Amino acid sequence: MAVEVQQRHQRPPLWRDVTVLKWAAQLVVLAVVAAILWILGTTGAGNIDDRGLTFGWRWLTDPPGISIREGIDLLPDSGSRAMLVGIVNMLRVTVSGIIVATILGTIIGIARLSKNWIVNKTANVYIETIRNTPLLVQIFFWAALLRLFDEPLEADIGVKWLHISSKGLAIPWIRPDIGFWQWLVFVVVGLYFARVMYRRRIRHLEESGEEAYAFTYAAGTVLLFALVGWFAHPLMAFLGPVWGGIASFFGALPTWVVQAVLAVGALGIAGWWIKRFLDGLRTPAGLAKLTDDDIFRIVFASLAGVIFAALFIVQGGISNLVLDGMRNLFEFFDGKFGAAEGGLRTGLPLRWSRPFVEVTGANFFQYGSGGIVITGGFFAIWVGVTLYTASFIAEVVRAGILAVVRGQTEAASALGLRRSQSLRLVILPQAFRIILPPLGNQYLNLAKNTSLGIAVSYPEIVLVGQTLYNQTGQTLPVVLFWMVFYLSVSLILSSIVNYYNRKLQLVER
Amino acid sequence: MADLGQDDIIICEGVKKWFGDFQALTGVTTRIKEQEVVVVIGPSGSGKSTFIRCINRLEAHQEGTIVVDGIELTNDLRNIEKIRAEVGMVFQQFNLFPHLTVLDNVTLAPLWVRKTPKGESDAQAMQLLERVGIPEQAEKYPGQLSGGQQQRVAIARALAMNPKIMLFDEPTSALDPEMIKEVLDVMKELAQSGMTMIVVTHEMGFAREVADRVLFFDYGTIVEEGTPEHFFTSPEHDRTKLFLSQIL
Amino acid sequence: MTGRIVLPDTEPERPPEPPPHGPIVWAHENLFSTVASGILTVVVGTLVVLFLVGVLGFIFGADRRWDAVFFNTRLMMTQAYPEDQYFRVWLSLGIIVSLTGLSLAVWQVGGRVSLNRITRLLSSIGAGLIGLEVLGPFSIRARVIGILIGLVLIGGSYLVKRAAGERAKQETIPLMAIVGIVPALGVVALYVLRIPTRLAEDNYAEQVLAPIANSTRIPITVLFVVGVVAYSVGVLMLDRMPNATARVALVGLWVLSLPAIVLTILRDPELDYDKILAIPGFQEGYLWWAVIFAVGGSLLITYLGSPARGEGGRAIGGLLVVVALASWGVSMLVLIRLFLLFLATFALAAPTFGGGEGRARARIVGLWVMTVAAAAYFVVLVSGPSTVQVQTTFFIGGLFLSFILAIFGIVLSFPLGVLFALGRTSSMPIFRLMCVAYIEVVRGVPFITWLLTAIIVFPIFLPLGVQVSNVVAVLVMTVLFSAAYLAENVRGGLQSVSGGQIEAAKALGMTTAQTTVFIILPQALRAVIPALVGQVIGTFKDTSLVIIVGLFDFLAIARNVIPNQRVPFNNLDALTEPLMYAALVYWIFTFSFSRASQRLEKKLGVGER
Repeated sequence: MAVEVQQRHQRPPLWRDVTVLKWAAQLVVLAVVAAILWILGTTGAGNIDDRGLTFGWRWLTDPPGISIREGIDLLPDSGSRAMLVGIVNMLRVTVSGIIVATILGTIIGIARLSKNWIVNKTANVYIETIRNTPLLVQIFFWAALLRLFDEPLEADIGVKWLHISSKGLAIPWIRPDIGFWQWLVFVVVGLYFARVMYRRRIRHLEESGEEAYAFTYAAGTVLLFALVGWFAHPLMAFLGPVWGGIASFFGALPTWVVQAVLAVGALGIAGWWIKRFLDGLRTPAGLAKLTDDDIFRIVFASLAGVIFAALFIVQGGISNLVLDGMRNLFEFFDGKFGAAEGGLRTGLPLRWSRPFVEVTGANFFQYGSGGIVITGGFFAIWVGVTLYTASFIAEVVRAGILAVVRGQTEAASALGLRRSQSLRLVILPQAFRIILPPLGNQYLNLAKNTSLGIAVSYPEIVLVGQTLYNQTGQTLPVVLFWMVFYLSVSLILSSIVNYYNRKLQLVER
Repeated sequence: MADLGQDDIIICEGVKKWFGDFQALTGVTTRIKEQEVVVVIGPSGSGKSTFIRCINRLEAHQEGTIVVDGIELTNDLRNIEKIRAEVGMVFQQFNLFPHLTVLDNVTLAPLWVRKTPKGESDAQAMQLLERVGIPEQAEKYPGQLSGGQQQRVAIARALAMNPKIMLFDEPTSALDPEMIKEVLDVMKELAQSGMTMIVVTHEMGFAREVADRVLFFDYGTIVEEGTPEHFFTSPEHDRTKLFLSQIL
Repeated sequence: MTGRIVLPDTEPERPPEPPPHGPIVWAHENLFSTVASGILTVVVGTLVVLFLVGVLGFIFGADRRWDAVFFNTRLMMTQAYPEDQYFRVWLSLGIIVSLTGLSLAVWQVGGRVSLNRITRLLSSIGAGLIGLEVLGPFSIRARVIGILIGLVLIGGSYLVKRAAGERAKQETIPLMAIVGIVPALGVVALYVLRIPTRLAEDNYAEQVLAPIANSTRIPITVLFVVGVVAYSVGVLMLDRMPNATARVALVGLWVLSLPAIVLTILRDPELDYDKILAIPGFQEGYLWWAVIFAVGGSLLITYLGSPARGEGGRAIGGLLVVVALASWGVSMLVLIRLFLLFLATFALAAPTFGGGEGRARARIVGLWVMTVAAAAYFVVLVSGPSTVQVQTTFFIGGLFLSFILAIFGIVLSFPLGVLFALGRTSSMPIFRLMCVAYIEVVRGVPFITWLLTAIIVFPIFLPLGVQVSNVVAVLVMTVLFSAAYLAENVRGGLQSVSGGQIEAAKALGMTTAQTTVFIILPQALRAVIPALVGQVIGTFKDTSLVIIVGLFDFLAIARNVIPNQRVPFNNLDALTEPLMYAALVYWIFTFSFSRASQRLEKKLGVGER
């Protein structure tokens, strides 16, 4: 009556099997890509030999024979030290730029939503002007602007409040003075008590419902400690010998202990991360199905742990570096506490000074040690990336606020909150959740855009790298160094953003 | 009621399917004859949608055998293409292509899968649109139609491939009440024309009136099957009784 | 049949008239609605006025060297493109202008604007002019004239509005008519206005009054006429032929014209006819190879495209892929390798996209012949050396170079980016991993680093004897870089296509390739048009970075060339002026582009969904 099921579980021929075809296609493409890379690699290696070039990492330790315009070390004694100077310079622009761009961008973004016509239009013009002009043009413009301030010298010698020239901006500045570190201990302790105070006031608010002024109390606590410390900081002199003791402890520690601790630490961190990751995925019913990405992450994390552990064990130098570093750090502290050259350390913690213009020859001048000089390169790149990123952040903030459902605003005003209150208490906290991921993207862009410092001779990592390979001929290793550095920055920044993002999402639930 | 053919067009034996740890089908065995209209009912999550999606291999079953029109469903590329062209499907969410006009929606597959010449497929499409009652909408985009009209276009689109079997996955669940009837009318007409149909639905009236056989699904398998008469007057299984008491 | 309710035959109620509004009401609502808002208005307003006074004082200051910009316009546009060849530049511009005119007409850009909006625009221009004259550092005479013109504009538009009354809202004028007036006024200004000019020859300090753009006003006038004529032709075309055909033809013309302009007209390659027309060998005979492949390929594709050629077709396609890849190991014309690669692609696609009907197959064969012709044409052109006599290595610079880099970067990166996006969203793990790795590495590192890499590292990886100019290296890197960003944008679109669409296509029996081409990509790309336009703008802005690797683009001329000119003018202290001019030009292009994209977005949103 009915057709019998005859062809039970026949395997289709290989060339028609969907699964086989899929994997075959992938493997073929992988092979082609690998072949292309291999051909490029061998050509590259051949070319390097033919042109008498070398490929190596000696330049990291050899004296580079270059000087750097500004940074923590103007005459670095090794290539890696020079790159470190570049990295620190890059981070200076990035961190200060991020802070200011965030504040500025938020203000402009809110202004863009203002009902006040002139505020609204001003913000709009700012955004449309800045974001539609190439960043590099803006950076060049800021650098060029400084040149307009160059004036005949005669009238200009002496102590100044502000001096602008193509060398940069010289402004008054506060610097740590002899008692700074002893005073800093008071401030740190004050911060701790401020935190305690803040929590206590918040609890008070929750229990009694009265206005608690938690922030005012906390700030007052810090100020109080700072004020007391200003006069009482010599009391902390006793810490000097303590730091000295710790320093000599690190000096006495054998290398293998550090190696073991570091290796175990690396494995431990990897294990802890994997455990937490798995816990995060676990559902009440048991372990959830892992996606390819998850497995990749776990494999990557454990591999990274093992590689670092092996590195610490094989390369004893790293542990020595850590030991030396710790010893130097505490010796440094030791030197900043207790007795100074002229007896007990009683001077001021901070001292401010004004810039000083001195003449070095006919038509040449330089800034003396007073105040601080924001160099032309730093000024141009910093102002450039900050204003540029602020315009993008403003758009992000605006979109985030607009994305908070209209009903929320209406609900807030129905509760009788004032416009500023509803903005602060209802809209911004919710908008922040939407804003965070694109904001992180903008931070990343800012970090990457600092590489334009090369155009105005600001010695960040790209310019330093370029100077180095011009000197040593090691182009390929320097390029690799750049890539690893920027990829690490991207990875770190995006993990920070992801961390906060996840934290916010958790709060929501 | 249409005459039933003699041959089994769909044969399922011990079909099992897992999603991760969750077993969606726990062994489905049934045979469906040519020109038969089968209505599948059951509580949500009982595997009825998964079952019909296995029949045109939108989901791959993991154990057991499915034979459609004499072809076994395996990983074989040629068989999958052939089966999909023979089995039409109508979805709960219509899934019309929003960037194409109604006419293009209907002619797309005949043109590129069946390789029908353009003039021929256009004429056929207009015929089908007339059959489902909306020839005047041919040049509009799906977004400009009502839900009921969209679902009728979706039926026309499936019919344009001249399928031997039609699958309906809850075709009226996303519709406003006043539009359900126009879709059910088209389906009834289709059933009377002798199409083999498997319909997952909550429309008990439709089941009673049109179905040759009703399958009741629960826990990923067929708990009870029979004629609509048997099913709605004297169900045997407790699960069936409970379900019917809740739904009717 | 359902019953039908007949609505009572009444006029729908009209909304109440809005309350009368005037400047005072407006100011009260928008500037002084609360005390805080009033304070804000005063503070911000003061700051804005001070800022404007400063900026205008700077721009119009007596010691600004704007002449350094004006007398270097040609340099900024085309660098040192030779004077006797300059008709090539004008010819290119003519083609672009006429295509633009046709496109504006065919796509019916603009629509109509109401009289109301025009009067409002005119009065804001008048107000802006008055503000400019008051705040800027102008002479009394200039101020009086400017303010008078401003007042006339405001008063005139007020009178027009008054006279039109209620009609001002309904009466409309085509936007293009207004857009056309601006360049028309510009052209008239070339003949009427005279500006103080420094004499170049012997005493450059002396100033005389001379017409603007003395040497180029004839070509500019011709360009304007060509644009107007092209627009009118486009309007006529709309009536005579189906709109869709006209659009497809125009897109085709655009795609062909851009490389043709750059490679043929501007670059003027020297062709080696002996090699092109020779009997085909592995190293020569471009023309005959093209014919052989066109004919042979057509036959093969016709055969493969016939119905029921499924697996055999795939096998032949696979075989051709192997042959094409192997050809890169054998010494032969690059053109033959390209032909093989294209043929393999077409052979793979033919069974899926060739219909059973003759017409669909004819279409794919036609596409093949066109591909062969285009590939042969461009390879022949590129392999001939340029005859344009310039001192630099590349035949053109300035704004033209910026545009060439941006346009070619975007166009070439588009297919690559779509491929990467498809790979990244693919269900196949190896593809996905490779694409993710590529995209993330490229995006994680700044563009300038990649540009330096292109300049210094590309030569290392190229076979000995093969050399690429810096411009080509930069262009390749722009394509690779832009592709990664494009892939991320397209990925967003791909993810926005619902799974139901793919299931529906599959249930109809469509293959994965057909589903991707007919269902997923059209929807995905439409969804990401705003993001793609954003990326076009971004790429255009990014081309300014090539100054750092020593290319002479627009910005490089503005910042590095002009301020170093000693002869004929001493421009050594003119640095901010060219930069501000460059900023303005970049801004005009990016701003108008982003505005156009917003209009497009609205149009797409309303039209078809």
